[in-house]
Amino acid sequence: MNSTVANYFSEFESYQKMVDWLSGIAGFDTATLVMVVVISLMAFIVINAMMLVGGLGTYAERKISADLQARIGPNRVGPYGILQFLADGLKMTMKEDVTPAKADKVLFNLAPFLSLFGIFGTLAVLPISSGLALSHLNVGVFFLIAISSIVGIGIFLGGYASNSKWSMLGGMRGASQIVSYEIPVTLSVLSIVLLAGSLNFKVIVGGQTGMPTGWFIFHNPFSFMAFFVYSIAALAEANRAPFDLPEAESELVSGYHTEYTGMKFGIFALAEYIEVFVLASVAAAMFLGGYNVPFHLGGDGIIGQVLQLGAFVTKSLLIYYVVIWIRWTFPRLRADQLMVVCWKYLTPIAIFNLVGSAVWLYAFKGQSILQLVLHSGGSSAGGH
Amino acid sequence: MANNSINVLIPIAVCLGFAVIIYLVVMLASKILRPHEPNELKNSAYECGEQPIGTAWSMFNVRFYVVGLIFIIFDVESVLMFPVVSVFKKLNAMGMGGVVLIEILLFIGILVAGIAYCWSKGDLDWVKSYQPAKKK
Amino acid sequence: MFHKVLIILSSALTVASAIGVLVTKDIVRACIFLFFSLFGVAGIYASLGADFVAVTQIMVYVGGVVILMLFAVMLTGGPGKESAGSKGYLLIPMMGNKITFGFGIFSGLVLLLTMAKITKSVIASVTISEVEGFASTVERIGSLLVSEHVLAFEISSILLLGALVGAAMIARPRKNV
Repeated sequence: MNSTVANYFSEFESYQKMVDWLSGIAGFDTATLVMVVVISLMAFIVINAMMLVGGLGTYAERKISADLQARIGPNRVGPYGILQFLADGLKMTMKEDVTPAKADKVLFNLAPFLSLFGIFGTLAVLPISSGLALSHLNVGVFFLIAISSIVGIGIFLGGYASNSKWSMLGGMRGASQIVSYEIPVTLSVLSIVLLAGSLNFKVIVGGQTGMPTGWFIFHNPFSFMAFFVYSIAALAEANRAPFDLPEAESELVSGYHTEYTGMKFGIFALAEYIEVFVLASVAAAMFLGGYNVPFHLGGDGIIGQVLQLGAFVTKSLLIYYVVIWIRWTFPRLRADQLMVVCWKYLTPIAIFNLVGSAVWLYAFKGQSILQLVLHSGGSSAGGH
Repeated sequence: MANNSINVLIPIAVCLGFAVIIYLVVMLASKILRPHEPNELKNSAYECGEQPIGTAWSMFNVRFYVVGLIFIIFDVESVLMFPVVSVFKKLNAMGMGGVVLIEILLFIGILVAGIAYCWSKGDLDWVKSYQPAKKK
Repeated sequence: MFHKVLIILSSALTVASAIGVLVTKDIVRACIFLFFSLFGVAGIYASLGADFVAVTQIMVYVGGVVILMLFAVMLTGGPGKESAGSKGYLLIPMMGNKITFGFGIFSGLVLLLTMAKITKSVIASVTISEVEGFASTVERIGSLLVSEHVLAFEISSILLLGALVGAAMIARPRKNV
């Protein structure tokens, strides 16, 4: 089950021929080398696509917020202002980089890097399609949750190293919020892992179908609740409104990146937007059928892979849209409410979901609620 | 071919490597392009126009530390749960589901007792209201 | 090939950051060096084929314990005024004495030589080979945890309970002081 994108390509004949040809030229076995090159190319594509998603995320954010508030939004750069993010990126690159005199300069430079590092680690296991995903690690979900917790350290350090009071408060809040909300996220993920019987994204997504009837969200009432617990907690983990306390502009100026200017701020923002996409895509993969195409259109060939990619991106972007929608709809929580929501509501509910899923799996032999309804003779059809 | 080999870790290493490269390239590019004209006022910490007094590195409330501690405990719990939960389906199909379910319930139950204790004692409250001790 | 690169890189990261922890005077920087050191250890675990342990290392130590340490540092008010002098041996208060440090270095050297003598034979017998069975260690760990080692599994839960209650007790302010 452990496989990488190179494994997928190695099933083609031409790949083997190329490896043999290269080995003949170089005089040694180049299989690993070709593998690294293929993976690097694919990773380059994925990472650039993600940076594009992150960049377009800022544009989408402004455009959607404008839409919700009956404004026009960015409309100057390119058609409908769609190139706005390129202009923003260029502007940030050319802005002066101000490092506060009292700051810890090494850590000040390290903090944005740690945020980026944690997010890029997650991209390696992102289940973009059954063949093209960079790797289907056996411990995929677990790895994704683990490596994304590095972002919290980046945010804390950003606040700490600035040596500004606003930043410090934002950094402390951010770190404590991220570690707190990691618990409901992990527990919700656990209840899906229980239904799928594996930590590998390929198995988890493979356990679902293209049509909503086979999605894990509709598998049983507990997974249905787990989806919402996951969504709320993931919003908080990505520091999105209504949980954007680390950067609450009305109380903390700009939170942990108050002192950051230029491209270092840009890296923080980029990491945040990519994290939203990653968490949205995990929700899509775990609960909403992931890359499954309805009726298994296109098969497993290249066309099928592209369709799967399309299904995956569509689902993720829909969730992304809802995330932005939520941001411009709900008011921000207070710091004490934040902790109460996490520890007194989400965590107990998530534990209940986990136990409930285990009991369901035991009692009904892993059948989903739909299968049960159909088996009982259809008298209670439309139960869902 | 390389199905069960360590090569499955290459994508992770490559992605983490890209993070390093991209950060360095972006920083280098902006270092070349951007102006650099620091002055004392610009380099002081931003406090809405006031002169910053002292350092921001001050003592923080103990509740952050408590949250950290509780987080570590639940983290370890979820780490222990991950392997058990991922084999539960397979064991259930083999007919061992009942025993394993009881084991999982026991494990979670003990921890729920812990969080219930903390809850009842008010350790989960962010804003704590301390009553002075009653005089005997 | 990748296996060797991974081992060398993670070992270098671990050792270099561990030295950084010792050398730096700033306690937060020491925490960050520790972060990289622990990350390197995760890399070493991964290179040995223990995927689950490696990710556990990242999850608990890199993402959890380091944050806890940083919170603990901020609990005490961050890095204070440096108590160290310009010379390294004054760094540790109450122990900064040329005689104690000389003695410490001497015993360290003796220990190092002894260890080298012991590990020499061990290293000679070990050959670095590619890890074959990178199959799921998770499922094996899981099925062992619920069958053979079920007592350890349940007792770890009680241990965690003790830690949770203890942490809450210690952090609670004394009401009748």
